[in-house]
Amino acid sequence: MGSRGNPVVGAVALALALALAGCAGRAPQKRTIVFWQFSPLTAIQPVLDRFHHEHPDIEVQVEQLTWQSGREKIVAAIAAGRPPDLAEIGSTFLPGLVADSTLIDLTDSIPDLKSALRGWPVAEYRGRAYAIPWMLGTRALYVNANLMKRAGLSRPPATWAEFSNAVARIDALGSGIRGFGMNSGEREVLFKKFMPFAWGNGGHILDSTLTRSVVASPQNIEALRFYLSLKPHSLLDRQEMLDEAFTRGRVGFTISGPWMLRKLPASAPDLQFQVALMPRPAAARGTPASFAGAEALGIFRGSKEKALALLLARFLVREENAMPLYVATGNAFPAAVAAEQDTYFVSHPGDRVFVEQLKTAVAPPVHPRWVEIEEILNGALEEAIYGKKSAESALRSADAQIGALLRKRP
Amino acid sequence: MTGRASGGRLAGLLPWGLCFAVFGLIPLLTALGLSFFDMNPLRPDLTRWVGGGNYARALGSPAFWHALRTTAIFVVGTLPVTLVLAYGVAALLGRLRSGEAFFRAAIFFPATLSMVVISLVFKSLYAEQGLLNGWLQAIGLPAVHWLQDPRLALPSIMVMDIWASVGYYAILILAGRKTLPVEQLEAARLEGMGAFEIERRIVLPHVRPVLLFVVLLNTVRSFQIFIEVFVLTRGGPLESTLTLVYHLYERAFYHFEMGYACAIAYILLLLVGLILLMQRRLIARAPGTAA
Repeated sequence: MGSRGNPVVGAVALALALALAGCAGRAPQKRTIVFWQFSPLTAIQPVLDRFHHEHPDIEVQVEQLTWQSGREKIVAAIAAGRPPDLAEIGSTFLPGLVADSTLIDLTDSIPDLKSALRGWPVAEYRGRAYAIPWMLGTRALYVNANLMKRAGLSRPPATWAEFSNAVARIDALGSGIRGFGMNSGEREVLFKKFMPFAWGNGGHILDSTLTRSVVASPQNIEALRFYLSLKPHSLLDRQEMLDEAFTRGRVGFTISGPWMLRKLPASAPDLQFQVALMPRPAAARGTPASFAGAEALGIFRGSKEKALALLLARFLVREENAMPLYVATGNAFPAAVAAEQDTYFVSHPGDRVFVEQLKTAVAPPVHPRWVEIEEILNGALEEAIYGKKSAESALRSADAQIGALLRKRP
Repeated sequence: MTGRASGGRLAGLLPWGLCFAVFGLIPLLTALGLSFFDMNPLRPDLTRWVGGGNYARALGSPAFWHALRTTAIFVVGTLPVTLVLAYGVAALLGRLRSGEAFFRAAIFFPATLSMVVISLVFKSLYAEQGLLNGWLQAIGLPAVHWLQDPRLALPSIMVMDIWASVGYYAILILAGRKTLPVEQLEAARLEGMGAFEIERRIVLPHVRPVLLFVVLLNTVRSFQIFIEVFVLTRGGPLESTLTLVYHLYERAFYHFEMGYACAIAYILLLLVGLILLMQRRLIARAPGTAA
């Protein structure tokens, strides 16, 4: 028969059940933040586990977006009225979101982060911050040391003249070896590859008030003429193919990101390569500029957990949380200023070059019509690269189109 | 009893019906509705009625006409070649004395691959320093800029598309050929008909309904070309591969003009519908067709 008929045992069981139910009722309810980001889950999960350890009452529902369809997924979620609470947003996508008031203005909630992080120009519009810089990306010059040696060159080029000379000499080696890997056939990346030369030469896309196009400035025209002068000695292809050609030792120089640092030793163990800063116009003129991209953390207007999302964003941008992500992925550097001093960069000199390159890297302007401006600029550059227009005529045409766009009411 | 049976049939159709409604009918009708609005998915609150404005805008847009022209070149360039090749391959497979199963599987293999995978493979083949140029250079020919040359990019995609689809259509045509009674073929041979004559007068009329199906299917698929362009060229170089669906994708997800993109999609739908109707009538009118 057992305890089933025993009234004492029954009473104790009932009391226990009530007590447990009472405890359950008083226990704080777990709140959930939906967080969309691009890193592999194996890289981000340990960081989120630490967050959960600090805030056991907060659950983070993390999802990995892909670079191919992440943008569409975010747009669809906003349209459906169910955006994530917090999302990693690329710097070229950010202006459109800001223009459409999709992200909340964080300026007054994060004054303390201003000095702790770099990369604010990509997250701010008219002095207001709409996202928090998390990881910063840039590109530098990859140099094939073997080909340099064969061409009788001793050190990576630091100026345009040295670069031009080195590209021509490596191209002259023949046997299908080309001096430089120049992007073509993928219009969307062209400005990222050309503008470093223009920025280094003192050029810009828009003026400081963001109301006037300065695309056809003498500095930009000079830079484009120089860039086009490399074409006869270059392999023209898409970025991934250029990376592959560099991996196979077929190209002297290519402009690429830090991800190649991890890839090259594994896929081409015999390849002798160096990473150098982008060449500047002359030893005493200009800067070794590059393209500055950023992955920023934005909180959507439709988020149901804005305060918690901000808490998570603050946690993620901390140096000790962003650095492991860089070590795991090798794609972009922490925006945290303190990360620059991390001992990792002492033992990894290639990565160190990218940290140096970030100091002179320039971000494209955050402008509500950026998508259109970028499209016009890329179209003009493509026409110049394909010889349909001269450097001057292509940039003047882009200048006229961007000017007309800026004069149009949004 | 009859009521119960038809109820059972309806219940059987329910899962398909639900899927069709959720993933087909509702998006189709929503897109039709959206095509009359100026709608930014990031600011749905600012959506406003523009009537036929999006349609008028598309018909007056040089980019739309350029994309339509590119798409038309793709369709006209791939459809007849695919059909002739598929027919030829099916005829060869039908004549095989042995190993038909192996060749059938081999020819059908591309159809089992995702177009993304096929495009990635061809991207490597077409690379400036890829396999194709390696072969050309090995026999002393200069490298070809397959995807970098605005004159060659679209034909290169067309070749890939033909390669990817011939096997699938060949198997469909082969299935049609297999339904031809052997007695009919033997009778034709006894009457002294040659292989070409048998093909022209017996086999071709017999498989014409299958050919109609292949033409219609390939037309629809070709007008929808997107993945190949997305993976290989993104509409470039110099917009030489900017097809209609890629154009509408850019308008929807880069410029956030969802209403305009839906209008382009509906113009495409009408256009494809009209072409299918014309094709159907043309093939049905051909002699010896019961379709």
